[in-house]
Amino acid sequence: MKVPEVTKKITHYEQLLNGIWSSSIKYLGAFSVQLLIERVVFDVAAEYREIELMRWNEKGISCNEIAEALKDRPDFPIDDMFTRFITKYVEILAKLVGSEKAEKILERIKSELGKEA
Amino acid sequence: MERLRTGIENLDRILHGGIPLYSLNIVSGSPGSGKTILVQNIVFNNVKNGLRCLYMTTISESQLKLVRHLQEFRFFSDDFIGERFIYDDLGTFIRKEGSVRALEYIMEVVRKHRPNILVIDSFKVIRDMFNDEKAFKTFVFDLAASLSVWEVTVFLVGEYREEETNTLSEFAIADGIFHLYGQEEKRFQKRYLRILKLRGTDFERGEHLFEITPAGIVVYPRTKPETEKLTYAALQDKKPFGIPELDEMLDGGLRKGTVTLLSGGTGTGKTTFALKFLLEGAVSGERGLFISFEESPNQLMHNASQLGWDLSRYVQKGTITLQFVSPIELDVDKHILALMETIEKSDIERLVLDSISSFESSVIDLQKYKDYLWALTQTLKAQGVTSIFTVLTEDLFSPLVVTKTQTSLLADNIIILRYVEKNSAIRKALSILKARGTCHSRDLREYEITPGGIEILGKLDAVDMLR
Repeated sequence: MKVPEVTKKITHYEQLLNGIWSSSIKYLGAFSVQLLIERVVFDVAAEYREIELMRWNEKGISCNEIAEALKDRPDFPIDDMFTRFITKYVEILAKLVGSEKAEKILERIKSELGKEA
Repeated sequence: MERLRTGIENLDRILHGGIPLYSLNIVSGSPGSGKTILVQNIVFNNVKNGLRCLYMTTISESQLKLVRHLQEFRFFSDDFIGERFIYDDLGTFIRKEGSVRALEYIMEVVRKHRPNILVIDSFKVIRDMFNDEKAFKTFVFDLAASLSVWEVTVFLVGEYREEETNTLSEFAIADGIFHLYGQEEKRFQKRYLRILKLRGTDFERGEHLFEITPAGIVVYPRTKPETEKLTYAALQDKKPFGIPELDEMLDGGLRKGTVTLLSGGTGTGKTTFALKFLLEGAVSGERGLFISFEESPNQLMHNASQLGWDLSRYVQKGTITLQFVSPIELDVDKHILALMETIEKSDIERLVLDSISSFESSVIDLQKYKDYLWALTQTLKAQGVTSIFTVLTEDLFSPLVVTKTQTSLLADNIIILRYVEKNSAIRKALSILKARGTCHSRDLREYEITPGGIEILGKLDAVDMLR
């Protein structure tokens, strides 16, 4: 069965977010990262309520419920919602741990994503 | 590291610029120690600069009381209340809903108002509302973690004793601990602030005096010399007294930037010698400062005129500044700070403290007095100020007791004025006990203070010096 384009996209973002997750944990610990995600979800939800369907625990992030809710909404601005999430996440991270460390985390994510590609 | 400036001048200096942003700080101290006023002062200074504060109180109707008391201070402004300064009654919520939902409620209000600063006053009351320590510990840990991602700088205010800062769980998670306390010293009720902990930044340790004034909190940092300035160079320039024989004995005068103890019994002329030193500098255009703990400026000018010296001319010109400080009212913490500021601003080159014996009697703690004096002398030396500290000796005939508090160790030069018996008469004699780096005279010289000034006479025989 062909996987819908929306689901593919969301799966890609889920991988990306889990990459950020595992890199952040080394600096902040799982507990703080979960709190940070909770805060970013709260902020992004002001524009995209669908982000509240994101689930996370100490093992990582799941976007299955988002994918399920959006599978029949091809016009939904998925890229914009996740870009806002990541931007906000990095922005807060930079404030909390300093831009130098946030930069390192980003570099690591980029290199890990590069390997996947 | 980015910092939250407190807006309290000397407090920011002690904090090397301010409190690290997004840190969690506990302001502890007994009731009446000034905790709430300190925090409110910090908050209003920041609210005026555009930040938003959420102030959560834990005692019913305290908001009304807080506003009523705070409006007396100049830092207070009701323009921001309800908008950038938001009060919230956390106490009522916990009493109605129980402590289990306290964190949930705090986070709900934080999410709603998005403050830059959060204050919980009093946090100790919240502790008392929890049934067991374990539940409170969990609450404290979760609170600190939850707030850490909301870009908020937190102040938890509480009536904690100092020993509790080592044992209670909230202090373990705190990034900063500010402890406030007061004590009575020589009739003065004095308030002190100590920073017990401040993660991520250096700060000035020790006890800092503070006052609550109508303008708000005023902090007087603990006097200590700047470490980097301690590597001052030995200066070769000489600062003469303008008394030819004495200057000759000193091989040209006192070396610039040194501290001299001028010691003597009552009536030996310590003040007169010190005044002459300032006058001589003033003739060459050097600015002098005379701090007197015993005589008023008018009295000093009158005394000088009796010796034929026109001190008032230089006072009027501003070359010499005479300041009388009542030893009864003297607050050393404040005085030293003011003194150092005057020296720096007015480009003072010659300084007289007349006498440090009065200084000593105003300080309750002898060790503290020594620390002050050490810091003062080091700073004066570093700034190249040539200083004379007069010291009253109780034994009129003996040169041995310069000072009971080992102040002589701080001095580069010691000049002794004393009484001697000669031909069944009491005469005055002068000797130089030490003058660092100078080939000074070891002679014992008789001197007289006459309407013509100070006259140094001939050497005295050793026999005359013995009692």
